[in-house]
This record gives sequence, structure tokens and C-alpha cells, in this order.
Amino acid sequence: MLVSKSKGTNSLLASEKKSLYRFLTLYVLMMMSIIVLIALFYYQNQEKMMFLSKRDMLSDYAYEQIKKLKILHNTFPADNAYPRDSRFKSGIYDLEYVKIFSLLESEDIDFTKDMYRTSDNKIHFVKTLFEYYLGAKYLFLEIPDDGDWREETWENIFIFGGLAIVFFTIIGFYIANLFLSPMRSSLLLLDRFIKDTTHELNTPLSTILANIEMIDTSSIGEDNQKKINRINIAAKTVSQLYQDLTYITLEQDIHKNDEKVETKALIENRIEYFDSLAKSKDITFVLDLKKSYIHINRHKWTRVIDNIISNAIKYNNRKGVIYITLKKNTLTISDTGIGIELTKIPFVFDRYIRFNHSEGGFGIGLNIVKKIIEEYDMKIEIKSKPNEGTQVVIRW
Amino acid sequence: MVRILVFVSIVLFSSHADDAYERNCIKCHEVLPFSLREIFMRYLAAYGGENNVKVGLNHYFKYPAKDISVMSIAFLNHYGIDHHSKINEKELKQAIDIYWQKHKVIGRLK
Repeated sequence: MLVSKSKGTNSLLASEKKSLYRFLTLYVLMMMSIIVLIALFYYQNQEKMMFLSKRDMLSDYAYEQIKKLKILHNTFPADNAYPRDSRFKSGIYDLEYVKIFSLLESEDIDFTKDMYRTSDNKIHFVKTLFEYYLGAKYLFLEIPDDGDWREETWENIFIFGGLAIVFFTIIGFYIANLFLSPMRSSLLLLDRFIKDTTHELNTPLSTILANIEMIDTSSIGEDNQKKINRINIAAKTVSQLYQDLTYITLEQDIHKNDEKVETKALIENRIEYFDSLAKSKDITFVLDLKKSYIHINRHKWTRVIDNIISNAIKYNNRKGVIYITLKKNTLTISDTGIGIELTKIPFVFDRYIRFNHSEGGFGIGLNIVKKIIEEYDMKIEIKSKPNEGTQVVIRW
Repeated sequence: MVRILVFVSIVLFSSHADDAYERNCIKCHEVLPFSLREIFMRYLAAYGGENNVKVGLNHYFKYPAKDISVMSIAFLNHYGIDHHSKINEKELKQAIDIYWQKHKVIGRLK
């Protein structure tokens, strides 16, 4: 499975977009069906009106033609010239639908209708004879269809149909927004809550981490060293969370301060930072790092690397491995962890989406990653197989 | 002997030259004021298609009656209706087929 996210992705959540698309698809299909039905009804009605306007004239023609057929019937075969008329073409068929004689240009013959338009734009008027002169039961009269009514009808359908589509689309978006507003309100509420609580985390967290660093571990027993190490891991986990929350609520709008960052050194630094966390699960790092530079805000690049490494540790198996490969313009981080189901991969970048609740977190890490990746026109791909592991590839 | 053979041949040839229509229809209708063509056109106007006309003719020959005749009441009152046909089924069918072919309209209009 390959998922590629680029700057084209907008600020809506994938799940939000999915709901919006589903609703709009259903709405548009229904709307189009109704418009098509109305257009069809209108078209048929216009056709009937056109037929109605020509029916009287064609009935008169038919009456005249039948009189001529009657005369010919009585004089046949001495006179065998079929009566012609410059105003119309005609043809006669017997009750077994066999053609007796025809001057019709269109081969589109329908005995079931009394008036119809042929496929080659002729109007056929069918008159049934009660006395079968020359054996004819059906007299077909044919006149050309000038098509004026059709042009006008199509014009009206396109103009009014187009206006209806625009109008109903606007209504559709309005309704869709109404449907989505409760979902958005919940997310805004959660954002506001996180923003408020984040402020309160900074001081105690900094105090814990600073004091742990200052403890002289050589003077304490092994048992206490283990306990302090656990406190250190826990504090770093919270610190990581704090960094993410701060970024998402306060810093994401800070764009500049870009600099040339040497990624190899940065990764080594972050691995050292996560070392205690990785060791707690007996996870080993396999590194293949080449020198690589990128012009980026160092703090944002750190958030990207931290979040991917943090996930690789969190969702890795005990005694797992994390492979980190850095080439000129590509960073690949793979783990041997639980993986992600194929159907869930498109949603991993959504905020507050977490597929595994066994580990802590708010589900904002990859959302931050995606935002930064998009901001710097980079590409991210996620390949994953359940129970085999996940690979994240970033290209710039 | 030669004279006898020539005479027999002429008799046989002339008897086969008359088809079922000529043998069975023309002689009787010659005396009527309405020609067979006029009667055909009346049948055509009443029955329409080929099969319908043939079925109508066949039925009338077998069961002649005033109420199913295509002729006018004045004609029927004056000449009456024909007696029940003595022609066998095959001969009748042949005669009707020939009658249709001789007077049909299809393919003769211009």
C-alpha cells in the first residue's frame, strides 16, 4: 500500500472529506436524476406540442391522399401512377405490414404510433384506412422536421438545467456544511482544551527533566538508577507530547527561520534522545546515514523526525529493529512493529486518529508531520503490512 | 396413324395449357357484368393483405353466402350467389394463387 500526500491536501480531515464526498455524491446523483427526468419530461412535452401543431395539417393531407388512392383503386391497373404531392412524401402498407408502394425517404417505420419522429429527422404521420384501397391499411405521410423546436428545447434545457445545477450545488454545500459543523465544533473544542492545558505543562516538565539530568547516578544504587531511568523515559514521552501540542496549537503558523540543516547529525542527536525509550523495549537502531542537507526550519524538521522515530518505537515489538536510511534527498525509517491495516493507511494523517490505543498519545504526531511536509513541498509515503512493520519514506 | 398421334398430342397439350384459374374461374365469370379484376379489387379493399385475401376467397368458395360476399346487394339480388364449389382443395389453392398473381397491386404501382 502506498499513500502519497502532497500540498494539494486541504485542511479538512480525510474522514471529514469522505463524509462530505459521500453526501455530495448522493446529493448530486439525486439532483442530476431529478433534473434529467424533468428535462426528459419537458423534451417529450415539447415534442408533443410540435406534433400537435402539425397534426391538423397532416390529417388534411392524409384525407386528400386517401381520396386519390380511392380513385386509383377504381382505375387500377389502367392507371398505375401512385399519387404524388410536393408537400409530403407518402407510402402505403397492407395489414400484414407488407409495403405496397412507398416514396418515404426514411426507413424508420413504426406501425404502433400514429405520429412520431424518425431517427433521421423526419416526421411520420400514420393514418389507418378503414377501406383498404389498393390493399393499403396504413398510409404513412412524411415531412421533414426542421428542428427549430428541438434547438429551442435543448437551449432551454441547458440554460435552466445549468442554473438549477448551480443553485442546487450551492444549496448542497450549505447543507453539507451544516452537517459537518457539529464535527468541526467538537474538534475546535478539543483544540481549545489542549491549547489551554499545554500552557500549564511546560514548567513542571522542564523542572523534572532538568533535575533528572542533574542527578549524579554514580552515587545511587542500581535499583534507584532503574527507577530514575524510568522517570526519565516517562518525562521524555510527556515532553515529546508537549512539543507536539505546543507546535499544533502555538507554533505551526511560524513559517520562517529556515536554515541549512545537516540531517545526519540531527538524526544521531534524536536517536540519542530516544535511546533510553528504545532501550526500555530492547529496540535496536540500524543506521545507514549519508551526509544530507535540507533548507528548513530546524525545529519543524526535528518534529518530523521525532514523531516518526517515536511512532517506530511506540508501535514496534519488544526486541524490534528500527532501520534508518538517509540518502541525499530521501529519509527512510522502517520498523518491525505491528503495522497498519491497508484500509486505515489513508487516515493516519488525520488529527486525533489513533488505530492502536495500547500506547499513549493524542493522535496528532502524523498530522503535524503531514503539515510540515506539505509546507515544504516534500513527499511522504507510508508502506505498511500488519504484523510485519511500517516504512515511512520522505523525499524532498 | 400419324394423324392420330398429332391429334392426341394437340388435345393433351391444349388441356395442360389451361391452368387451374382459367379452367375453373374464367368460364363462369365471363357471363357476369363484373370482371374478375373488379371482383379482385373489391376483395382487396375488404381484406387487405395477400394472406387475408386468399383466406377470404377460399372461405367464400367453400361456404358462399350473401352476408360475406364482397359484391353489392343489387348484384346479389340480381345474380344470386354461386353454388358450392366442386373444385378440389389443391386446385382451388392453385386457382387463388394465380388469381392473386394476375391482379395484385404490389410491385405494379409507379
